[in-house]
Amino acid sequence: MIFRAVEDADLIRKARRGEVEAYNLLISRWERRVYNYLLRIVANREDALDLSQDVFLKAYQNLRKLDDPARFGPWLYRIAHNEAYSLFRKRRPEGETAELQPETLEGEATPGGNAVFPIELTLAVSNALHKLSADQRETIILKIYQGFKFEEIAEIVACPVSTVKSRLYTALDLLKAELAPVKARGVS
Amino acid sequence: MSCSPFDLRDYYFKELAEHDRRLMEAHVKTCAGCREELERLRGVETALLALPDEEIPQRIGFVSDPVFQPSALRRWWDALWGSAARLGFASAAMLSIALVVFALTRPVPQASAPAPAIDRTALEADFTKRLNDAVQKAVAASEARQARQTQELLATSEKREALEREAVMVRVQEYLEVEKKRMNRMILASNEYGEAR
Repeated sequence: MIFRAVEDADLIRKARRGEVEAYNLLISRWERRVYNYLLRIVANREDALDLSQDVFLKAYQNLRKLDDPARFGPWLYRIAHNEAYSLFRKRRPEGETAELQPETLEGEATPGGNAVFPIELTLAVSNALHKLSADQRETIILKIYQGFKFEEIAEIVACPVSTVKSRLYTALDLLKAELAPVKARGVS
Repeated sequence: MSCSPFDLRDYYFKELAEHDRRLMEAHVKTCAGCREELERLRGVETALLALPDEEIPQRIGFVSDPVFQPSALRRWWDALWGSAARLGFASAAMLSIALVVFALTRPVPQASAPAPAIDRTALEADFTKRLNDAVQKAVAASEARQARQTQELLATSEKREALEREAVMVRVQEYLEVEKKRMNRMILASNEYGEAR
């Protein structure tokens, strides 16, 4: 358990009063998570960083609209989700209705400091994730990598909990099938 | 997986209520199939976590530029309306101030002059005089009423006596008339008897 002398809610209250330093401290607690969430969705570091900055700016501008400071996390990710899908819509060619599919992250197979997992597994996971639909991949990211509860995910992506569960379990079945050969070779 | 009382995946992701979670724990201990499925889920999750988080290439931060800052008044106003507790406190404070201002500025009611020393003797004399006057007036009124009633009674009585006296006189007159007639008849009868002899 991480002990925080100042809770997020206190920082939010101070930021609402215009204390920018309190908001910067709040950013420092969330920026890495938000950046990685966006990076896994848009699969582009530059876009992920730009979007992250936009997300925190929008959050600051709308901080007064946040009813319950305890729900800051899902609220922030809701903004991030909207920003990412707004980017997808902007980049989608005119008239295209196909599933949104970000490009495979360049250099994803060689993440810095990845000494625990073999590169083959990392590549396999990355490829398997990109075979999922955008909704399924986002649900996997929010549940497995970000650790949100079903209700929070439903709030972020604006859909019922039953849909979230359906997306997650279907995605897990697909990933299980995709990753089975890699595991069978004893990589993990 | 269908042998478990709840969705095994909900159990794996710790999304079950406490009571349901305990039931699932007891079931998993005795069900090899469910344990295998849990292992498979754990394996997929472990594989997914092989993709580690990256460090953000550039820290995000905002500078406190007064140009972009709302004014102090604006921040105070927003903070006031942004918090129900503060708004409530402000309302209570305003009400208190209004009460104090009202209490300080309202016209002072005419302070009653110090009560003059009461002259008890004069008061008693005045009271006695008024009482006597009232009693005398009441007595006079009562006597006048009694006198008037007495006079009325006397007048009525005299009238009745006069009527009775008149009735007696009429009867006496009638009696005398009858007696006179009888005397005349006796005289006539005596005269006739004398002539007849």
